[in-house]
Amino acid sequence: MTEKTNAHQASFRDPSGYIFHDGNTLRRAIKPIYFPQYNSLKDSGFFKSLIANELLIPHTETAASSDEIIITPENIPFITNPYEWSFEQYKHAALHTLKIQKYALSKGFILKDASAYNITFHKGKPIFIDTLSFDFYEEGTPWRAYKQFIMHFLGPLALAKYHGTEVFKMMQTHIDGIPVKLISSLLPTRTKISSVLYPNVHLLAKMESKHSEDYKAETKIAALSKKSQENIIESLYDYIKGLSLKEASEWGDYYNKTNYDETAFEAKKTLIKEWIKPMAPQKLIDVGGNDGTFARTVIDSVPHIIVTDIDSNAVDYNYKQVHQNKESNMLPFVCDVLQPAPGIGFNNTERNSLIERLAEYAPDVTMALALIHHITLSGNVPFEKSAEFFAFFSKHLIIEFPTREDSWAQSLLVRKREFINHFDFYNETEFEKGYLQYFTIEKKETVKGTKRLLYLLKNKNLEA
Amino acid sequence: MNFLYFDPGLGAMIVQAVVAAAAGILLFSKSVMYKVKSFFGLVKEEEDTYDSIDVEEQDTDKYDREN
Repeated sequence: MTEKTNAHQASFRDPSGYIFHDGNTLRRAIKPIYFPQYNSLKDSGFFKSLIANELLIPHTETAASSDEIIITPENIPFITNPYEWSFEQYKHAALHTLKIQKYALSKGFILKDASAYNITFHKGKPIFIDTLSFDFYEEGTPWRAYKQFIMHFLGPLALAKYHGTEVFKMMQTHIDGIPVKLISSLLPTRTKISSVLYPNVHLLAKMESKHSEDYKAETKIAALSKKSQENIIESLYDYIKGLSLKEASEWGDYYNKTNYDETAFEAKKTLIKEWIKPMAPQKLIDVGGNDGTFARTVIDSVPHIIVTDIDSNAVDYNYKQVHQNKESNMLPFVCDVLQPAPGIGFNNTERNSLIERLAEYAPDVTMALALIHHITLSGNVPFEKSAEFFAFFSKHLIIEFPTREDSWAQSLLVRKREFINHFDFYNETEFEKGYLQYFTIEKKETVKGTKRLLYLLKNKNLEA
Repeated sequence: MNFLYFDPGLGAMIVQAVVAAAAGILLFSKSVMYKVKSFFGLVKEEEDTYDSIDVEEQDTDKYDREN
């Protein structure tokens, strides 16, 4: 069988196999080197049990020959990366990984790597997506992926506890996780008396620098019983489960601070519902959608919804709602529109940029409510530029334009102080001029009881 | 042992013996504390956002039937 030329850029590290695009379908090829493991995982019912417990992405074996087995995993509409998760999401991803490792151990397997990229969110829950991450457990061996778990999960989470969730963005610059030494140096000194953080981070960093010169691999590694390994996993699990943000500012009830009353709020909801329903979108994204309040007005009729926000707390609050209401079609994640996640890793192609992923996702409807004044006034982005951004991945765009009279737009303008005149272009006419370069106006209405306009725009590149 | 595509870190392999010992002590003391607390009725039920670490062995035939 010939090597697929359309192999996915993210799967060259593991020699066991690779994922590739077969038309629009993502498939995974398994090489003979991994056949023993794969067959054992399959025949022992381990895969089946993981899938039944919703821990691993379901797959079907679609082809098998002596030199390659092809499996086809269930399609995941949108892949989010660790630096786009909120605190609770990150926590759940870590717990999910430990849970799988503990179960694998009990069945005579191990997770051979504990990368955070093996987890993504699907149907409202974390799911493990690297089907070839398992190997045989050898009696007495320590967990090879232990350090990786610390660099990818425990480190970022512990740092977030003390420094806030901005820390997760470090995963963008460190695709292999945050170096242990760095984690250790960034944690407050008092964590040196923590019964979990001292051994798992500080001592680990010490040992790592002590043994970094062992070029011939002569140092003997002591045996570690299975029970001991389970103890490590369980204590990490307990610690991570109990983690909370130091500055746990409860998502500050954003909508109580907004400048329109109940009637205007409802009017906006009704308008959105009325516009979206006839379009019957399959996929919808709400950019800057806070905790998902407006996206939830159509949650029953849209099969897949993404809500992004710059505020990690809002995303967290949204994720908790998804969890509580068992919503399977809502995916919240953190995104700063002014600096969306770039493509990272080897050749800059290992993890796709947000824009690429959004274009691939191709939402039928994009919503940008109460966002444009932030992009334009806080980010100094001309209308034409932001229109270009939305046009790159949107078919239909529902965008809310707070006019200069709107109190929030006012406040942003006033903060420009002596430069306020530089922003005279912030008005309805200029807005339309900018956006009409990429879109046509389908509908336009004033939101009752506010100084805001709601537009329904259609991408010019969309065949009518 | 299959060859690795990332470095597990020798220090990390060695340190696990110490980490496991610490974890063992911690888990043991936690369970003792829990017993003491529950004896005095001081155990508070906490709100859980993620289920237990243990996978429930469930009837996978049910899954088969559904799929």
